[in-house]
Amino acid sequence: MARKALPGIALITTSLILAGCSGSSSTPATSASGSTAGFQSQHKGGTLKLLAKSAAGSLDPQVNYTLQYWQLYQAMYDGLMAFKKVDGQASFTPVPDLAEAAPQVSDGGKTYVFKLRQGIKFSTGAALTTDDVVASFERIFKVSSPTAGTFYNGIVGADACLTKPATCSLAKGVVGDATAGTVTIHLTAPDSEFLYKLAVPHASILPKGSPAKDAGTTPLPTTGPYMVASYDPNRELKMVRNPNFSEWSHDAEPQAYPDEIDESFGLTVEAEVTAVQNGQADWVFDPPPADRLNELGTTYASQVHVNPLTAFWYLALNTNLAPFNNEAARQAISWAVDRAAVVRLYGGTNLAQPACTILPPGLPGHVDSCAYTAGGGATWSAPDLAKAKQLVQQSGTAGQEVGVVVQDDTVNKAMGEYLQSVLNEIGYQATLKPLSADIQFTYIQNTKNKVQLSLTSWYQDYPAASDFINVLLSCASFHPGSDSSINISGFCDKGIDGQIQQALTLARTDPQAADKLWGQIDQAIMAKAPVVPLINPKLVDFTSKRVGNYQFSKQFYMLVSQLWVQ
Amino acid sequence: MLLFAVRRLASAVLVLFAISVLVFLIFFATPGVDPAARIAGRNADPATLAQVRHSFGLDRPIPIRYALMMRHLFISRDLESFVNRGAKVIPQIVQATPVTLSLVLGAAVIWVLFAVLMGTVAAWRRGTVADPLIMLAGVVGISLPVYWLGEVVNLITQSRLHGSVFSWVPPLGYVSLTDDPGQWALHLLFPWLTLAVLYAGIYARLLRSELVANLNEDYVRTARAKGISERRILIRHALRCSLIPIVSLFGLDFGALVGGAALLTEVVFGLPGVGKLTYDALQTVDLPMIMATVIYAAFFVVLANAVVDVLYARLDPRARHA
Repeated sequence: MARKALPGIALITTSLILAGCSGSSSTPATSASGSTAGFQSQHKGGTLKLLAKSAAGSLDPQVNYTLQYWQLYQAMYDGLMAFKKVDGQASFTPVPDLAEAAPQVSDGGKTYVFKLRQGIKFSTGAALTTDDVVASFERIFKVSSPTAGTFYNGIVGADACLTKPATCSLAKGVVGDATAGTVTIHLTAPDSEFLYKLAVPHASILPKGSPAKDAGTTPLPTTGPYMVASYDPNRELKMVRNPNFSEWSHDAEPQAYPDEIDESFGLTVEAEVTAVQNGQADWVFDPPPADRLNELGTTYASQVHVNPLTAFWYLALNTNLAPFNNEAARQAISWAVDRAAVVRLYGGTNLAQPACTILPPGLPGHVDSCAYTAGGGATWSAPDLAKAKQLVQQSGTAGQEVGVVVQDDTVNKAMGEYLQSVLNEIGYQATLKPLSADIQFTYIQNTKNKVQLSLTSWYQDYPAASDFINVLLSCASFHPGSDSSINISGFCDKGIDGQIQQALTLARTDPQAADKLWGQIDQAIMAKAPVVPLINPKLVDFTSKRVGNYQFSKQFYMLVSQLWVQ
Repeated sequence: MLLFAVRRLASAVLVLFAISVLVFLIFFATPGVDPAARIAGRNADPATLAQVRHSFGLDRPIPIRYALMMRHLFISRDLESFVNRGAKVIPQIVQATPVTLSLVLGAAVIWVLFAVLMGTVAAWRRGTVADPLIMLAGVVGISLPVYWLGEVVNLITQSRLHGSVFSWVPPLGYVSLTDDPGQWALHLLFPWLTLAVLYAGIYARLLRSELVANLNEDYVRTARAKGISERRILIRHALRCSLIPIVSLFGLDFGALVGGAALLTEVVFGLPGVGKLTYDALQTVDLPMIMATVIYAAFFVVLANAVVDVLYARLDPRARHA
């Protein structure tokens, strides 16, 4: 999933303080009032003013792949399923949304039958029908949705749709029955994560007449509590109440509090933070700059919310290029990098914690283990430079040149400089190659660019171990010569790939056992060290004084529609 | 005169063409810049990537891509951003132009007023302590980088003293003149002042030296001999002549600023003008937008140059044959 923008400014030691922040979102006051009490009409109304440095591109929910808009889509678009809109761990649970109930699954997990809820209308006033659902699934392919070939390729007929989107027909894959009000989806093979995939915005249900190409800045009709009144990527996104909405499931799509939500674009992050301090705006999308954290953590502690994310920052070591085609050389890097130093560069222990595994804490399958820490143990304690140096000598790669490709913002560059110094210390000749943040991510994926070592990150799409391990490190994710080859290390191990397939299969029948297996695969991959997990980041939300009822969904982050502004 | 103007126009068109080709080539020569994968989204599978590449015409040879982009930009005028898909670049520039014009016009009025005042007083009071003091103020103004000054102004008016002295300062951003003239001026007040500081310093120093030179000219001596008052000589005679080089410099600066050179001021104060558009496009490597803003900027610079040249030719016949 699209990563968040990075904390803007410098590596400043004062940021370590972030003292009195309300630790996590699961404070009893907020979660109790939000999830158990239902809708509290006395807080309804007002305009919620959000700020973001820049717009996030197309408004089309089947195309946009950024966290910035996925967060807003939660109160606009609905799929057959949705992630439960509550605070905390329960937000990882998929619940029926436009479907009346969880689907009936048959045919060994290959057929899903959904019954649509009655009486739901689009913001245009048109009633939601099974035709809309069928058209929406075809539209995923017609608009070349980013995940068309990765999430929805298991639907019968998807193959043809991927090669010829214009004439896409899922007549055999997604079958609507208007009289019974049901939609039947046929898969070519069982998919234990299919319900998750139906709950992300790319599977939103749109009216059947929606254009068969990216709608871009033109808003599409919604089913949720808001619709878009206007969108100008240089000015503002204005969301107003959908007059045809009435709450059908508090878990899936709760009634919203503010009458209007405006996200304005164009201020610098510094100015955004100041505007929230002044009460001119209510929330900042971009992570606050490190040099403002101290001020926020002390003077504005009650308005700051910190939440750990199921995400990780890592080094991708190119397993097909010297020196990191050598396992010992890769392990040397794993031993050498001081995760605590990286945490400091990211902004301190309140903003991140050291990572040892591919699966972040809180994600199903995660097991505390740390293969590369001085003195052993399940959590990270210190690097072991002596061992690293010894491995470099053993591998025979000492003295080789290593290019370190990082993004060119302050935080990433500082980490890059640190990595460069570590590499030099253990016996390589490292050069730092900072690239524009918008280019770096695709640049490091293309084998033609011969990137040896790069710093990157991955934020979950949905709460499944496969979204990390299968996506990032399976043979199928490696596309040599392409800018879209998310297996950046080019890691392809037949044994591990077999285990991944086994875990995916097992997940259909026994999710617990599958999670256990994922944990083992994680450790097996770590032993081969194609990637070096560095940190698990946390998210800082800074809200204005008047905002109440802050709730944090682990899936889509702060629940914007549930905030009180009066 | 007409031939001169036509020649000038032809060379302007050539410059614009060269600039567009250069921008295009630089863009595609940048490593890893191929926008297809960024447009397609993270982890797009090869088939999707190929579809996106095809639908944006990115699988065609570079000269054809250039021709297509120029056709979309100039003929069908429906060139769309790579980043904010569906957002047409020309309407965005059209929408941003009034913001930049408001900023630059207001700042220009302020800096010209201050420059004339400071330059004239300094020349008039030369030999006294006022002259070096005023010129020092000018140097300080020139030396303050506008992004730093802007941030400091924001720090004071929006943050540190926002609760007391500056509580009347509105939030950063832009309000259209037609919506609310009062708020328009209030929102732009500090951006105007910030942008004007640099130019006021430059123009004041320039004007002073021109004035001092002119005050030693024969015609001034003649005027003095006729018994005209020093004040009248300074303002009616010397100042008028000294303003000629200032006017041509003003033309060039104004053209560049309207073309987007006020970028940093716009970014710092959150003004959605052309400079901000350029800045955002560069940040996201959005080629269509970069192309459009660069051509727009080049257009204003070339236009300002042409106007200045033609005016010069009008004022000084020798320039026509140069």
